[in-house]
Formats: sequence, structure tokens, C-alpha cells
Amino acid sequence: MGLFETEAAKALASSAVFLFITVLLMAAAKRISTCIMMFSAQSAVMAMQVLAIARMRHSREAYAIVALVLIVKAAAIPYALFRIVDALKAPRDVSSSTTSAQSIFIAAGLILLSFFAVKPYAGALGVDEAMLAAAVALILTGGFLMVSRKKALMQVVGLLVLDNGIFLAALTTTFGMPLVIEIGVVFDLLMGVFLMGLFAFRIRDTFEHLDVSKLRRLRG
Amino acid sequence: MTIAINVVQVLMLVLMAPLVRGVIARIKARIQNRRGASVLRPYSDLAKLFHKEDLVPPSASFVFRLAPVVMFAVTVVAAAFIPVLRSSALLGIRGDFFILVYVLALGRFFLLLGAMDGGSSFGGMGASREVLVSTLAETPLLLALMSLAMVAHTASIEKMVLWTTGQDFFELSAVHALAFAAMALVAIAETGRIPVDNPTTHLELTMIHEAMVLEYSGPSLALIEWAGAIKLTVIMALLVGLFLPWGMAATFSLPAVAIALVLWLVKLGGMALALALVESSVAKLRMYLVPDFLGVASALAILAVVFTALMR
Repeated sequence: MGLFETEAAKALASSAVFLFITVLLMAAAKRISTCIMMFSAQSAVMAMQVLAIARMRHSREAYAIVALVLIVKAAAIPYALFRIVDALKAPRDVSSSTTSAQSIFIAAGLILLSFFAVKPYAGALGVDEAMLAAAVALILTGGFLMVSRKKALMQVVGLLVLDNGIFLAALTTTFGMPLVIEIGVVFDLLMGVFLMGLFAFRIRDTFEHLDVSKLRRLRG
Repeated sequence: MTIAINVVQVLMLVLMAPLVRGVIARIKARIQNRRGASVLRPYSDLAKLFHKEDLVPPSASFVFRLAPVVMFAVTVVAAAFIPVLRSSALLGIRGDFFILVYVLALGRFFLLLGAMDGGSSFGGMGASREVLVSTLAETPLLLALMSLAMVAHTASIEKMVLWTTGQDFFELSAVHALAFAAMALVAIAETGRIPVDNPTTHLELTMIHEAMVLEYSGPSLALIEWAGAIKLTVIMALLVGLFLPWGMAATFSLPAVAIALVLWLVKLGGMALALALVESSVAKLRMYLVPDFLGVASALAILAVVFTALMR
């Protein structure tokens, strides 16, 4: 192994830290745009992880996945979300039902929970414990963001984080799904974002706000 | 030789502190499209203040005069705990990070006494706000330092720095990343920068530090301002030493020390740039949101301590 491979392996082993940081910042963030930027950074970190694995395993397919993740998840989806936020002209805060300090305590608790949850499996599967824990933590915090934020757009962001977690779990346990499936999943996600964007516009036009906690009764 | 370099380190931190403030103010001015004052402006400000008369309110006791002197002395002592050019410090002993934290707290305590002794209502108001901020900032600062101590298996700052120098940058540990995030938030609160406090405002609704020093003038004010600048530099140097110590001189040779000095100045300049960027892009928090801000720091610091157990 050359110097680059050694450094790539070391960077890979410690890259879970960056994912934890993006998750914690998302929990602390007060604006939707900050959350979108964090999602973009998170996707970029994951693309780098795939790249490091591709370098170490000399896999052609993995390079395609790197490009796909970078283009769609780190650029296209955040760009689309920014456009939606601009076009909606709604207040830009996430209107959380918990304060940032509470959210970050909860996110920290979820990270710890995921470490304890993966402990028995990581050894048996022979994979890096921190990476698998990061995957579970992304899934859990994605769910947490979806239930605790009241703005309709934050549900999309939460879903995207959750999907990043599933992607990372697949990456760490089986070194990635086949390319065809990855392409399918990523484009599914892109369509999902567009649909949710349309939905957000409809919610705003019908109810004149984006607060999902107030969607209690039906309207024509 | 060791003693000589250690003394030089302390003198550097004390004498360069106004320059650091000047550089930050200059960078901020540039970001805001102004030309800005010279980077040496804080020195002339200090010189001017030292030549002015020291006005003391008639109701004040000796504590009012004593407070700035104690605060300055204590801050200089704090500078003696920080490794700069080599991983050694003048007062580097076991457990010195506790002393560092509480020496800074002692300085603040005397400033609070002085502020309340001045007799104006602003002094008391600023003091009560400062107590709130510092109480909430103490926990994350100590916890973050403790997590680093636990990772490095040592209780002295210079040994922690030495341990980090021996690590590979690419083997970045979660503990260090979390502790850095927590300490960066605490550093902003401790030194009274935006978004916790604005050092350039005199608006009674928001000021914390300025409200406390409102009654001071002349040499007393100069000592307080200088001590504030030293504190900022000390905390920045502590962050550089704990999280980016690579390049510190391992030997006593002149080239090694010179390289360490240049690298240290570059790192400090980078931190000044980062601080100026944060201050120019973030709005000041409402007073009631400050506990939330420091709560985030506490959560990060607690997570850092827990990770010391998980990573082993």
C-alpha cells in the first residue's frame, strides 16, 4: 500500500467524526438553509468515504457512485431545496419544538444509543464500529429531525439524512449496493424532493403557512 | 535555556495581545468594505489611556482601584500556562488546566467586584450578566479540557500538547473534534465576542463587558483593556496549542524555534481571520438565547467526555 492508500485508510477511519458533527450542527441549526448546507456537506463526506473505499478496493463501479453522490446529493438536491426555500417566500426558521440545546442533547443521546446498538454486530461483521454507529445515528437523527421540526421542508431534509444513513449502512456492511440499485435509489430521492417541493407549495397556498403541526383539519 | 524560552513565550503573549486585537479589527473592517485603523491602533489607545487621569467615583472603595490591577496580574499569570514555541510552559505543572480555568475566573471575579463597587446601575447589571455567562461557560470548558486530559492520559497542558504533536493529523479523533467545537463556542463567550457580547457597543440593552467597565477611566481602563486583549490571545493560543500544535520546536536550535514562531503566527492569524469572519457574518444573540448557545457547548463537551470511553 502506498502512502496515499495509508492516509486514505486513516482518513476513512476518522471520517465518522465529520458525520457526527454535521448531524449535531443540523440539530443545533435554526435556519432551513443551514440544514440544507449541512446535508450537502454530509453527502460530500460520504462521497469521499466511497472514494477512499474505491481506492483501496480498486473498484470501477465505486467511482461512478462517487460521481453520482457528488452530483445528485451534494449539489442537485441542495440546489433544488434552496430554490424551493427561495420561491416559497416563507419564514426561514425551522420552527423546532425543542430548543437547540435540547435538540443537540437528544442528538448526542441518539449517537450514544447507536454506539451501544451496533456494538454486538460490529465485531461479528468485522466492520468499523464508528462507521456503522454513524450510519445508525444518521437514521435515528433523520427520524428525530422529521418529528421535531414543524416546517414542511424539514421533513424532506430529515428524510434525506435518513437515506444517507441507509446508504452508509449498506456501504459499511457490504461495501455498497450494486450500481443499478444505487442509481435507482438516488433518482427516487431526487423525484421525492421534487414531489415534496410541490407538496410544500400546495400546503402554503391552501393554508398560508408551512407549519405541519397545524394541519389538523381537511380543506378543499 | 528552557526558562528563557518560557519567559519569552509569556512576554510574547502579553506584548502581542493588543496587536492581535488590532489585526482582528482590521480584518473585520476589510470584510465590511472599510479601510480600518492601523493594526497598531490598540497600542496607541493604551498609551493614551495610561497618560490620562484616573477618575474614581466618590462612593467607591479601595476595591475599585484594586480590581484592574488584580485582573491584569492574574491574566499575565494565566499566560504563563500556555505552551507556544515549545511544548513547555513557565508554570507547567500537573493539573495546571484546572488552575488556568480558575485563575481566569479569579480575574473575572475581581472585575465583577470593581464593577459593582463603582456604584452605577450599569455596573451591577453588567456584573449579573457576566456571572450568568461565565457560570454556564465554565462547565463546557472544564469538561472539554478533561476529555483531552483523559485521551492523553495526563493532567498538564504541556503534556497534552506533546501528546497531540505525536499523533497523525489524519487520525483525527472524535474526542478532539468535539472538544474543539465546544471550546470554540466557550472561547467566544469567555472573551465577550459576537454572538454573545459585542465589544464595540455601548447599548445598554445588550452590553455585558462594556457595562462593567463603564465607570473606569485612565490607567485603570488601560489595564482592563490590556488584560482583556491578553485573555483573548491566551485562549486563542490555548486552542492552537491543544488542537493544532504540529510544528512546535522539538529542539533548542535556532532554526527550529524560528520555524515554530512563524508557524505559530500563521496559525494565530488563521484563527483571527476565522473569528473576524464569524463576527461579520453572525448576528448578536439576544441575552435570553445565550444559555441555549452555551447549552450546545455543554452538550458537545459531555459528548466528548463520553467518547473518551467509547473510543477505547
